[in-house]
Amino acid sequence: MRNIILICSMLILFSCKKEKNVIYKLNDVIIEQNSANKDHLKSTTEFISIAYSDIFGTIISISKLSDLTQTYKAFGDKFLIEEMIIKNFLNEPTNLIPAIDTTSETAIENFVTDTYKKLYNRNPDEYELWFVADMITKDNDLTAELVYYSLMTSNEYRYY
Amino acid sequence: MKRRTFIKKVGFTTAAAIGVPYLLPSGRLFAATGARKANHVVFCLFAGGVRNLESVHQNDGNLMPYTLKDIDPTVGISSDIFYGINFVPPNTGITLQEQGTLYKEFRMKYGPTGHYGAHATAMTGVYTGENLNINANPQYPTIFELYRKHNSPSMSAKNTWWVSNSLGAYAHLNYSTYVGYGPDFGANYIQPASIISQEGFDNLGNSRVYSTNEEEKINTLRGFCDSHFSSQYNGAANSITNTEEDKKEIESFINQCFIDAANGAFNDPWGVGGGLFNNDMRTVHFAEKIIQEYKPELLVVNMQDIDIAHSNFTLYANNIQKADYALAHLWDTIQNTPGMMNDTILIAMPEHGRNQDGNGLYDNFGREALDHNNDEMSREIFALILGPNGVVVQDQVFSENGQEKGESIDIVPTIANILGFDNDIPGGLLTGNVLSESFY
Repeated sequence: MRNIILICSMLILFSCKKEKNVIYKLNDVIIEQNSANKDHLKSTTEFISIAYSDIFGTIISISKLSDLTQTYKAFGDKFLIEEMIIKNFLNEPTNLIPAIDTTSETAIENFVTDTYKKLYNRNPDEYELWFVADMITKDNDLTAELVYYSLMTSNEYRYY
Repeated sequence: MKRRTFIKKVGFTTAAAIGVPYLLPSGRLFAATGARKANHVVFCLFAGGVRNLESVHQNDGNLMPYTLKDIDPTVGISSDIFYGINFVPPNTGITLQEQGTLYKEFRMKYGPTGHYGAHATAMTGVYTGENLNINANPQYPTIFELYRKHNSPSMSAKNTWWVSNSLGAYAHLNYSTYVGYGPDFGANYIQPASIISQEGFDNLGNSRVYSTNEEEKINTLRGFCDSHFSSQYNGAANSITNTEEDKKEIESFINQCFIDAANGAFNDPWGVGGGLFNNDMRTVHFAEKIIQEYKPELLVVNMQDIDIAHSNFTLYANNIQKADYALAHLWDTIQNTPGMMNDTILIAMPEHGRNQDGNGLYDNFGREALDHNNDEMSREIFALILGPNGVVVQDQVFSENGQEKGESIDIVPTIANILGFDNDIPGGLLTGNVLSESFY
């Protein structure tokens, strides 16, 4: 009987534990705009102004914007006119399109990331980064101009 | 073979023959249900508001000698305005009137007699109301949408063009906001003066042409980007869509126009000289280039320099005779373009007239300027339907006695009838009549 009481006492003594004070918190996460949040279509003026700034690194003048807007309105196929305007911009010697540094995988990935940030205002996801970097790696003829043109005439570029 | 098996096999074969479409010479799989009178229609909105007094009634002499026969060959241009007119080369050939049917007393019966509303009426076949919004596309389907939607498979945008003299509201007329229609069925629109210009060249003319190889890379990368994007861009309902192949063709055409312009080809291509080549002629010339390049089945072009009448009557008269020359040149181009010649019907009609009374502004020749504010005379117009002998009744004139015949809203059903799709247009959409008396 005494042994039983001793064993029970030992069990009670070691089974009760002080409740731990646990604090839950979140790690910091950088929230970036992804393409799913873009549902505002750029107006004519916005599209032209933003494209000009993205390529030339400067704000478009009022007179240039007015001329371009008139040209834009003077043709019914806006896809075609947008493409011709972008091609025209990219062919100007004063454009600030960086050349692609193909010396390393990191440099290529940096170019892709910088291009997405400039044109789409976001980082590429892992698949996008891999796909575009892989295209560049495998094709020496895929120049920065062609990459810029492709992204700037894609659907996402028309939205914000 | 047993009877039941034979009937079954014949039935299947017959059903297959009915169900499988045949390939038409035009490449279309299905025909519109009506027979065509011609395979091309060119509709010219002439030319910014011209009164019947100065056109078909020849009150100041025949200001349209290329289009109209002289009512009285002994009467020349009114002496008071004669020296204010810079005359085009004289017509030494047959008039347009003799090559078709002329309606001298057409009417724009209802709606405000303003340029945009009158254009919209002529191009939709529906009168507009007083609450017309000139900053919006028309409410009712345009002739372009009716043509593209009611021919199956639907005609490509390259087959239908709207060439306008000026921008502003006219850019809205290539498609409507009507449910079930819209930009998917609209026309290719161009305002040549803004594209083939120094500014147009500065904005578009310095682009690099990508090779086929480069185009493939672009399509792969852009396709990848588009597949990762949720919203489907459609030009926010402000753009017609050409196929990729057609886009390249049109881009190439525009680039060639830039080269031609740089070589002076647009300065006076008709050789009229003497500072005569005006904006109307330039617009019509560009329409001719589109006709020669694409042989469109439907093209609408307008002229508007006559609208100088708001401030100067003599210049209005001057521009009437230039518009007349341009119309005749357009017909001549059509009749000399393989694929269009003898297979095109040209329709010309002012969008509206002008007021009976002047507006108080006098020019140097003592003539009073004219507005167009919905009075009876601003609704009086003419219409001319030209076409091949055997299709269009030649040298026929209606309303010599002054009786009204025909309305603005009759043009769209007439075009639909010419191109064989009038029976396919939903009932109630159009209330105008086919001008069947013009045709055999």
